[in-house]
Amino acid sequence: MWESLNLKDVVALARDPYPSIRQWARDTGKKVVGSTIADVPEEVIYAFDLLPVTILGTHKPLKKAPSHLPDNACSLARSNLELALSYEGDLFSGFVLPQVCDTTQHLSDIWRINFPDKFVTSYLAPRQADRPSARYWVKEEIERLIDSLSGWLGKKLDNGALMSSIALHNENKAILKELYEIKRNFPGTITNKQFFAMMKVSQQVDKAEFNKSLKAIKDGLKMKKSKNYTDVIMVGITCDPPEIFDIFDDLRVNIVGDTLVTGTRYLQGAPALNGDAIDALADRHFKRGFFSPIHDNVYKNFEEVRQLYKETKAKAVIYVHIEFCESQEYDLPDLKDMIKKEGIPIHVLDTEYQTTSLSHVLTRAQAFFESLKGGSL
Amino acid sequence: MNDKLTSKQLSKKITDEYMEDAFHAHDNNKLVGYTTAISPVEIFVAHDIVPIYPENHAVANLTAKKGVELCSVVEGMGYTSHLCAYARSDLGYRKTGVTVTRGIPDPDLFLACNAQCFTLTKWFQVLARRGDLPVFVFDTPEHILDKNARKEIVKYCVLQLKELISFLEKVTKRKFDYDRLKEVMKYSAASSILYKKFLDMAQYKPSPISIFDALIGMAIAVYRRGTQECVDYYQTLCDEIQAKVDQGIGVLPKDQEKYRLYWENLPVWFKFSDHAKLLGSYGGVILTSLYVHAWSFDFDLNKDPLETLAENYVNRFSNSTIEDRADMAMDLFKKYSMNGMIMFMNRSCKAVSFAVPTLKDILTKRTGIPALVFESDMGDQRFYAESQVRTRIEAYFETLDRLGLAQKTAAA
Repeated sequence: MWESLNLKDVVALARDPYPSIRQWARDTGKKVVGSTIADVPEEVIYAFDLLPVTILGTHKPLKKAPSHLPDNACSLARSNLELALSYEGDLFSGFVLPQVCDTTQHLSDIWRINFPDKFVTSYLAPRQADRPSARYWVKEEIERLIDSLSGWLGKKLDNGALMSSIALHNENKAILKELYEIKRNFPGTITNKQFFAMMKVSQQVDKAEFNKSLKAIKDGLKMKKSKNYTDVIMVGITCDPPEIFDIFDDLRVNIVGDTLVTGTRYLQGAPALNGDAIDALADRHFKRGFFSPIHDNVYKNFEEVRQLYKETKAKAVIYVHIEFCESQEYDLPDLKDMIKKEGIPIHVLDTEYQTTSLSHVLTRAQAFFESLKGGSL
Repeated sequence: MNDKLTSKQLSKKITDEYMEDAFHAHDNNKLVGYTTAISPVEIFVAHDIVPIYPENHAVANLTAKKGVELCSVVEGMGYTSHLCAYARSDLGYRKTGVTVTRGIPDPDLFLACNAQCFTLTKWFQVLARRGDLPVFVFDTPEHILDKNARKEIVKYCVLQLKELISFLEKVTKRKFDYDRLKEVMKYSAASSILYKKFLDMAQYKPSPISIFDALIGMAIAVYRRGTQECVDYYQTLCDEIQAKVDQGIGVLPKDQEKYRLYWENLPVWFKFSDHAKLLGSYGGVILTSLYVHAWSFDFDLNKDPLETLAENYVNRFSNSTIEDRADMAMDLFKKYSMNGMIMFMNRSCKAVSFAVPTLKDILTKRTGIPALVFESDMGDQRFYAESQVRTRIEAYFETLDRLGLAQKTAAA
């Protein structure tokens, strides 16, 4: 079903993957398990012969979520809850919900209370990452997740299945990295929208099938040496709606690096296949880049951004702010100052899930890139 | 000497001495540690680190209606208006020096316990960056319903408390004294029992205390637990309230106490006394909230101090599931015979407020009592609509009257 998609198909699938996932679930008879960002070890879920789907909001209207989460709650959290309560809840047999901030903690509770007949478990990743206890706790939580899934399904996890799952996920990430490299070096060969659609779909469909599509897409690419592209790096957690990428494509802006949780951070730290699988998954947790709710030092974020900016020879930083994301909002003023002091041009994109009008984003982005070309910011 | 002082005098004396000690900490070779109101401060006390709570200082400024002035300054620095008013007013104080108190001493280090909220961790990180100071995050995963998971969470927290002790030993270059911790724990355990006794005096009819008394009375538990003086203070306070009970003195006279109310959330600090008067005029007394009970710990002195600390700090209401919070609130409803509830959606406090709609649904269903829900902010007056709140309070009491709920006890 997902093994022979072209780029156009992938973009359409990324826009609304759920009809396709429904069809797949019907065809295969397999269960679908949803999770929200970040850091749920999807390899574990997949190894139980389940389909892990990262829920990344809905573009359909909010109906029920506002009565559970007020309007000053993170728009991604409200959008995810709406997707589950109003639109796609029946598709999922269970949910694994990570908790990283006050909003996600409550979101898990609300979710569990509203789906009493489904499997719902929390994934309590540590909100500190620099001490030995953090590693201990990641491993404990992975083991608890395995036990919870075992209890629900009434079967033990097969170590071979876990290793195969890790290998499959690593393969997916390796292909995506190659595609990113092509995008970086041959602007216009893959648009921003197409690349981030491949990233998103990779987190939502069966990789055993989708990897075949990705390989075929990669092999079929005709490298372009397009000129007049402005290279930028994108910093933040997620970027939505996907039409934002259209704006960048239209302005001939090429995203050559990012720190998004749904972008490069997803690709980082492939678990090793030559040792204990749980140890390898725990190790991976600490090889990933900065994520504001769990890392306590914005300097690290700045260092990552600076390094990426230098390595990619980008011309500017685009910071994607999700409206009402408290974590970002405490970090941003200082991060912005640090970046500006370094002489790096930065543009903050204010986004909100469910946004339909992007005219303000377009106007501001146009002004920013025009000034960038003019050399005065 | 102390037994001659009233609780109010004793509170002032303890507070003055504490702040004096804090401002002269460096003169006495002590460090100042900023910490969250819910945090295992017993470790600080045992290691002679002076704990300072920026939240308390923020409360003083917000109660004195300095919120708009201080928050506006911070919004000009790029922080959004929907962040916690404690954090915004504190950052405003750092920028302007404006305060209604003598201020608070600058920190040497930070201890952020996220059992209370995630905001404090981020706020402390902002402050730490300004001075390039160390932050220790005591990470308390949600006290989820799974009993086996709870045991593992406590183990993880004990590990972190050991890391905290190593961190403090490194910063202070002094060995941690576990015997001293045991002594501190004795004081904390004793004062917690007395503090809870004080809060529970709201069970009497008429209630000798309202939540406003509890909010004033809780201050010493927040910043001086782990000391003998804290124990002395609550003994004095309990004795005074017991004397009121013995004389039948209530916040409202017995024949006027129609509604014994539950309050969800922190208070609207700048409307503190107005709310007490307004509710009183309708025969309403707010008796309690889960918030004021957050400092009634149940330390088990027979256990390893780190274990009982971990158990107690991880299971605070603010780190509990909504189901557990509902059970905790129901216990209070039964114990205090409450017949009304005010659910405050506090824009500043996401940690508490995002549970409120669900909690309200559960509590109204389980008690059969309607709830008054209103949205505002605990410290930023720009989010407080005076006439709207008054109208809603008036309408709520009319509803309770119509339903004949006056002086009825809540049914489980």
